[in-house]
Amino acid sequence: MRVPVLALVVITSAALARMPASAQGSGSAVPDLAGTYWATVYYPTVPVVGGGAPPLNDAGKSAYEKNRSGLRDGSLQDPTRKYCLPDGIPRLLATPYPFQLYQLPPGQVTFVHELNNQVRVVGLNAPLPGYDKASADPTYAGYGTARYEGDTLVVQAIGFNDQTFLDSSGLPHSDQLATTERIRRIGNQLEDVVTIHDPAYYTRDWQARFAYERRTGLRLQEYACGDKHRDISRVKGISEVRAARAQKRFP
Amino acid sequence: MSVSSQSKVQIAAALTAAFCGALLVLASQHAAAQSAAIPPLMLPYGSGWSGGIGGRTLAPPESYLPPDYLNSPEQLQAAIARGVPADKVKAYLQIRESNQLLPPESGIGPITDDPAHPFFNNGMREIGKPSTVRIAGLDSEAARNLKPWALEVVKKQNALALAGKNVEARHARCWELGVPGILEVPQPLYFIQTPDEVVMYNGWRVRHVYMNVPHSKNPPLTWYGESVGRYEGDTLVVDTIGQNDKSAVDAYRTPHTTKIHVVERYRVINGGKGLDTSFTVDDPDAFYKPWGGRRPRFLLPNRPLNDMDQICAAGNEDHFDLGLDPVPQEATPDF
Repeated sequence: MRVPVLALVVITSAALARMPASAQGSGSAVPDLAGTYWATVYYPTVPVVGGGAPPLNDAGKSAYEKNRSGLRDGSLQDPTRKYCLPDGIPRLLATPYPFQLYQLPPGQVTFVHELNNQVRVVGLNAPLPGYDKASADPTYAGYGTARYEGDTLVVQAIGFNDQTFLDSSGLPHSDQLATTERIRRIGNQLEDVVTIHDPAYYTRDWQARFAYERRTGLRLQEYACGDKHRDISRVKGISEVRAARAQKRFP
Repeated sequence: MSVSSQSKVQIAAALTAAFCGALLVLASQHAAAQSAAIPPLMLPYGSGWSGGIGGRTLAPPESYLPPDYLNSPEQLQAAIARGVPADKVKAYLQIRESNQLLPPESGIGPITDDPAHPFFNNGMREIGKPSTVRIAGLDSEAARNLKPWALEVVKKQNALALAGKNVEARHARCWELGVPGILEVPQPLYFIQTPDEVVMYNGWRVRHVYMNVPHSKNPPLTWYGESVGRYEGDTLVVDTIGQNDKSAVDAYRTPHTTKIHVVERYRVINGGKGLDTSFTVDDPDAFYKPWGGRRPRFLLPNRPLNDMDQICAAGNEDHFDLGLDPVPQEATPDF
């Protein structure tokens, strides 16, 4: 078969332009994870790997019950939703809105979320702060660092404040929370398996899994707090949680 | 294998090697051409383009302001008229711009402060001036360029501010800002550049600029509208239409309509230390003539986007009953 040389050059150039910049010319095998993704299922309670409930210890059970009853009777607000503040990890991973993953700029992985315009910036091989700094100045999104292990992006974070829940039901965490995410492409899907380490509230480390469909050509829409947002009623689980909230069955 | 077929194999191998070599050369030339053609707005992890001090005691480098502005006799006179000591004028001009739009190189500029009520931001402590509130100057070409209804809106805000009410800029109250209002934000601005899209983010405000495509016929009206972009030499040109009329074009609350059309031009200057931003605004229902301005930024290393940039609404109520705008909130969470 004869392949025109010009066509090959054009194909090669186009392919190069779309490769992750971090991979271009580096010679190292960096998986191409970049793209726009959208969850097909929304989980109002965190989806534990292996099923069942998160392994709360007594302190965790007490904090969870306090959160749930407060959210139910209105004595406790969910500032994340009310004031459009950062979700924290892993709650952000449950977003029913699309997001973009960029392996850019150099030395960085960037998650741009439609939900409340949350931008999550993680430095590749960035040093994590020491325990003193992380616990003295905790943040909503924590302090993160990322690295590639084969086909997987590994993101670790510590130093979360106590202003977020792990999910919409009020699942608690302490300032000892540390997360490790393993993110990889499986066909047309992006998988994020997060390990939760929080010995103050859980009897052991546990994992949750989130999956997203890659959506070529989908543009993120504006998300302004208090305005009408994108219609997400087609995302599985949304109409159920809306009905449960309306009937006071959730959280 | 015969000699002739061996030769054919060798020739084929040589041709393949030559072809692959040529491909590699072309590919590297392509990569070089790509990097040469695209202005380096996207900075490596940890660096951003700061818009000023934002009330923090961080003196911006002199290089971030255009020399013609820093050394402009008009600016010098205006600063002295505002009570700034002559030896502090440069420091004043640098600090002042932390959330201020600068005049354009020529033509009508943005609304600026009333010389009778000079605006000193928090950073002015460094030159011995306590902070003041913003009162728009109405005896200026920019004010005379406002259509009557727009002038009334600015006058109303002046009256509120003079009465000590509603004194905070919209960005301090966590609202979306529109374009060019967003340019005033002092927090660092970051870019992601891909062939199809440029993402711009500072704080929780994100803009998506779609490259080398035309505008939609009837884009939905949104806070930041629809932005399309192109590169012109070393400059990123961003063209925006389709904005709603809920934002103001500046911190003096100068309004606009949905007909607003903004063109921004971003260019790296001073050997990579500065980001020159200029813009033009055309809105025939709010302004008699198009006007423009500039908003320089400077390279700020070791400052990746952080949590503090994204939590404006946390604990940001009107604690002292100053008639501030309420921070945005959801009436009913949608999931």
